[in-house]
Amino acid sequence: MATASIRDFMAGDHRHCDDLFAAVEAALAKGGADALTAAQVAFEAFRAAMEAHFGAEETQLFPAFEQATGMSSGPTAVMRGEHEQMRELMSAAAAALAAGEPDDYAGEAETLLILMQQHNVKEESILYPMCDRQIPAAAALVAGLGKTLGGGAQ
Amino acid sequence: MAVSLSLEQAPPFAAPLRFFLTAPLFGMAAGLLVVVSGDEIFASRWTPAALALTHLVTVGFMLQVMIGALFQLLPVATGATMPRPLSIARFVHAALATGALLLAAAFLTHAALLFALAATALGASVLVFVAAAGWALSRIDTATASVRDIRRALFALTLTLALGLALAAGLAGVLELPLLQLVDIHLAWGLAGWGGLLLAGIAYIVVPMFQLTPAYPAWFERSYSLAALAFLLAWSALELAGRHPLAQLFAAATALGAGTLAAITLWLQTQSKRAKLDTTQQCWRFAMAVTIGGCVLWLLASALLRLGEARPQWMIESAAWSQFVDGSNWTLLFGVLILAGGFMTAINGMLYKIVPFLVWLHARNAARRVKAVPNMRQVLGEPLMLRQARAHFLACALLALAALWPSHFALLAGLALFVAQALLLANLLKATTVYRRYLQEPLA
Repeated sequence: MATASIRDFMAGDHRHCDDLFAAVEAALAKGGADALTAAQVAFEAFRAAMEAHFGAEETQLFPAFEQATGMSSGPTAVMRGEHEQMRELMSAAAAALAAGEPDDYAGEAETLLILMQQHNVKEESILYPMCDRQIPAAAALVAGLGKTLGGGAQ
Repeated sequence: MAVSLSLEQAPPFAAPLRFFLTAPLFGMAAGLLVVVSGDEIFASRWTPAALALTHLVTVGFMLQVMIGALFQLLPVATGATMPRPLSIARFVHAALATGALLLAAAFLTHAALLFALAATALGASVLVFVAAAGWALSRIDTATASVRDIRRALFALTLTLALGLALAAGLAGVLELPLLQLVDIHLAWGLAGWGGLLLAGIAYIVVPMFQLTPAYPAWFERSYSLAALAFLLAWSALELAGRHPLAQLFAAATALGAGTLAAITLWLQTQSKRAKLDTTQQCWRFAMAVTIGGCVLWLLASALLRLGEARPQWMIESAAWSQFVDGSNWTLLFGVLILAGGFMTAINGMLYKIVPFLVWLHARNAARRVKAVPNMRQVLGEPLMLRQARAHFLACALLALAALWPSHFALLAGLALFVAQALLLANLLKATTVYRRYLQEPLA
């Protein structure tokens, strides 16, 4: 994947997280006695992928961007803030599943999905292209991100 | 650097919300007008009441929500920030709402003064908005398909306005103009140009990302808006030059293009990974299916009109068919399908994502309260939204029947539209009440 741009690679990981999000809804929709347990398992896989993505951005991509541009309170600060909002919603969603309340889960998940997607739009159409333009040795960074995120992004 | 600020994102809630809460009032007014006018309104697309109704829906409802949504969407999805969004929104909204009312009144009374006032208000509103949005978009350097199509849609909106102003001057008796030709060009630029391109630009983002579908085909994203603009330009120029048969060819291409947009959208939506079809998705699918129906109707009816006497014999002999094709019925049905079934339905569905999310977002960004921030379903529950959407679907069906059999269905259709729009307003008000109540909770 040495030739992938930061944008393409990270957008691919967004789609991977989307798939895992959909898997939770699918598990719940299936119904049956163990639907809730299956949804909890699926949700933990989703949450782990989200945390891995946030981690890769917060410890690798954003510092590289901040170093290259000198902007530490700019777009990356906003993105970090939104990561926090998504972490809160994921906690609330996990709590709803643990309490056996699929309706509450649906409400938290819907909110999370919209927040997550408008966050993704901003990253994919604004921030990642800026990263591709401004970070020197972007290819090496993509390789590093690939190691952190594993094969999920492909 | 504009971008670092632009990611600070959302304008104050009051900027887009005023548009969203006003739109259903115009929808209700449209329903009332149908009730009051009765079957007369569906006698022809040229009756004063039909023209007033059309503009209550297109300017009062559709343009209202579209502009309000762009106040929110431009900074968030494209990074383009307007200067002083709340002040601009206040002016654009006040002038737009006033202008829409004046325009409907002008059609109903034929008073030259009302046309002049309506033209002034709507001209000021749209030009200030286009200038502010255009300025914001000129300062960003990201060139996604969405940004490009929104820019092109703004161009089409400006042209629609210019044609509308010319028509108002013609109706007020100030200018001598070929009104009938200009009306068709005006509505084509408004619907296929502004409405269609804006819908395309927004759909490239919201359909794949929020409904978890595959992306639009790259060839389509690349070529649709340019092709649509080219068809519209060719059609307008040929029509004005008096080359009607050739112009019809480009009109057909425009309809075919819009139908393709709806068909691809519907096809993508059937591949959604989301397990449950929520109200918004049902609205989108209904809107796209009805739009395809509208485009097919346009193509078939236009072909039959061109055939004239060469139509199949049974069609010529049937009085009902002749009346449908040669009379006003099919154009009225087309208007109902595209405006109420297509645009109003898609907009209705979008409001159910935008407004609850904005309530959550602004509540979350306010100072911390003791109580947890209400999630989107707590802001507005799925059953309330579904009930309203079904009322709207029913209103669309009745309006379509009214276009065909006005004396039987006009009254019912008007009532149904009024009720569906009143329920929409009630739902949106409920969402904003949740927001106000949350802000009254004690601080954490």
